[in-house]
Amino acid sequence: LNAAPGRAPRQQVRFLPAPGPGGGGAVELVAARVPVLADHPLVRGPRFKKLKIGAGHRLDVKASGVFVLGIGHGNKLLTDLYNCHLTRVYTVGGLFGKATDDFSDTGNLVEKTTFDHITREKLERILAVIQGTNQKALLLYSNIDMKTQEAYELAVKGLIRPMGKSPPIITAVRCLQFALPEFQLEIHCLHETQQYLRKMVHEIGLELKSSAVCTQVRRTRDGVFTVHDALPRTQWNLQSIREAIRNCQLKVETELERTL
Amino acid sequence: RRGLAVAAGPPSTRQLREAEEAAPVFQYAGKAAKRKDRVFVWGFSFSGALGVPSFVKPDAGWKKPRRIQPTPYRLETEEKISSAACGYGFTLLASNTRDITKVWGMGLNKDSQLGFQRSRRDQTKGYEYVLEPSPIPLPLEKPQQTQVLQVSCGRAHSLVLTDSEGVFTMGNNSYGQCGRKVVEDEIYSGSHLIHQLKEFDSRVVQVVCGQDHSLFRTKKGTVYACGWGADGQTGLGHYNITSVPTKLHGDIVGVNIIQVSSYGDCCLAVSDEGDVFGWGNSEYLQLASVTETTQVNVPRHLPFKIGKVKEAACGGTGNAVLTEEGNVFVWGYGILGKGPNLIETAVPEMIPPSLFGWSDFSPDTRVAHVRCGLSQFAALTNRGELFVWGKNVRGCLGTGRMEDQYFPWRVTVPGEVVDVACGVDHMVSMVRSF
Repeated sequence: LNAAPGRAPRQQVRFLPAPGPGGGGAVELVAARVPVLADHPLVRGPRFKKLKIGAGHRLDVKASGVFVLGIGHGNKLLTDLYNCHLTRVYTVGGLFGKATDDFSDTGNLVEKTTFDHITREKLERILAVIQGTNQKALLLYSNIDMKTQEAYELAVKGLIRPMGKSPPIITAVRCLQFALPEFQLEIHCLHETQQYLRKMVHEIGLELKSSAVCTQVRRTRDGVFTVHDALPRTQWNLQSIREAIRNCQLKVETELERTL
Repeated sequence: RRGLAVAAGPPSTRQLREAEEAAPVFQYAGKAAKRKDRVFVWGFSFSGALGVPSFVKPDAGWKKPRRIQPTPYRLETEEKISSAACGYGFTLLASNTRDITKVWGMGLNKDSQLGFQRSRRDQTKGYEYVLEPSPIPLPLEKPQQTQVLQVSCGRAHSLVLTDSEGVFTMGNNSYGQCGRKVVEDEIYSGSHLIHQLKEFDSRVVQVVCGQDHSLFRTKKGTVYACGWGADGQTGLGHYNITSVPTKLHGDIVGVNIIQVSSYGDCCLAVSDEGDVFGWGNSEYLQLASVTETTQVNVPRHLPFKIGKVKEAACGGTGNAVLTEEGNVFVWGYGILGKGPNLIETAVPEMIPPSLFGWSDFSPDTRVAHVRCGLSQFAALTNRGELFVWGKNVRGCLGTGRMEDQYFPWRVTVPGEVVDVACGVDHMVSMVRSF
């Protein structure tokens, strides 16, 4: 970053003595633009000695996916994005038949159960109930008076969202794949932690009169940043980072303007 | 197994795997596990209409009686309940079993709307409040063959529809709503009289109770009515009481009616072609789309251009219909479900499907049934969710809050809701467990 051509040094106007037109002896002051010596790279030193990097929403050690970082001014944008309360999308993989103490497949085994009575229909019914209860929580924690016309109109458009602190809320769930004993869900949620999602998988197992553990949690979208914008490990170099920042700038600005 | 000579340590991966494979497998539900049918009740309990005696008379001295049950509470029943109806302070549950006991009732019994419930303290008198679902003895000719198809409850009378023995009516008959001649100064409390109605042009397939009148729909698509008619709710062309079920004419002559609905003093009927007919009270603009008069005593066709109507539900002051596409239209007066600004309308207004759970994620969600209480509405979606809205009279909406609900709100029920019956201040739902 320091090797890149830096900012051009500031120019200042100074009045310098120059030989006058009359010739020999007379000195005139001529205005000229001269670079300020204080801005010279040899005087100032390298431009960037430290970079302030902030992290967006937390991602577990066992989880994977999109992780947003902000650099410098981006930290302030991160706080603003956090106050927007945008949803995040996860792909959660689960396995029926086991129950462990930390809800994932690497924990200590608590119980094994049968699961051949589970069908995709039953799973979808449970998911519908989860969505229903979470919808109610959405409306309750949004701190809007239910008796106003405004609340009705927001509810019709589906724009009611808790704009303050709230427990984890799931706005939508969908079953992507179902092949006993494995299954995969797409979960859209707010204010959640990955452990909460694993607990949700465990509870789904309990509701279906069996047990389930979570094998995979992958964040596919964090607010406006999707997997397409994210940089994989092979692209963790300066060029790609700068390009990515440039691409996302517009999206972030529009989102912030829309919400705040 | 390790002997004492081997040191203990954290279990290696292989040991963990072996332990896991050796763990016993529990079975909670087999492949043929059936979904159980349950009944959930909620609302005002002091009339006994919820059927839970411990709400009214707690079984321990330190417990307080529960006046209102704000969220769904499971009611244990002996048989699978196929039909339920809520009246004004009482409930009827019916099962289509072939056993001798087919109908149970609970709640107010001051007019013997639950039949005669012999009091245990005094064998000659009956109970005025029934706190538990108690069997109603019907005078059936073939009790082990006849099945009860449907029950319906009005303000102080009830109707029981059987498959081969006609309709049984009991309760208050001061306006002839039980289909028998009005007897002056009849004392209805503690009465054993259950009247049987058989003379219709064909088999009766649906019975509906309004506040003080009764409607019968036959297989041929005709409608009969009896009871109070001062608002024209009997639809017979006059405003007097009728004590014998009489056929209705007007705009429904020759039309095959597939559903009738009423709860207050207004009535709606749906034909097989999707047209809506209405008669009765129109003080709240229920029939204002065809007439300015406040009472209509002949069925009139309501020319709504909302598509083919599948089901109609009539409340005290507001009406709702469900179209074939699964949209709900409401009109009338009161809390109609479109926010606090819509208080009355004479023309049906649609409730946006997004309020019933329709979204880009689940575009197949649509409303399957609509039901009406006196000032509440209930809608069942094809996903088995129950949405309620309207005036929250003594907690009858089941949302857990005591405030009125101005737009459809989900009721959390642990199961898939199959049917719901709405009353004045309580509701009963039939639910299938997951």
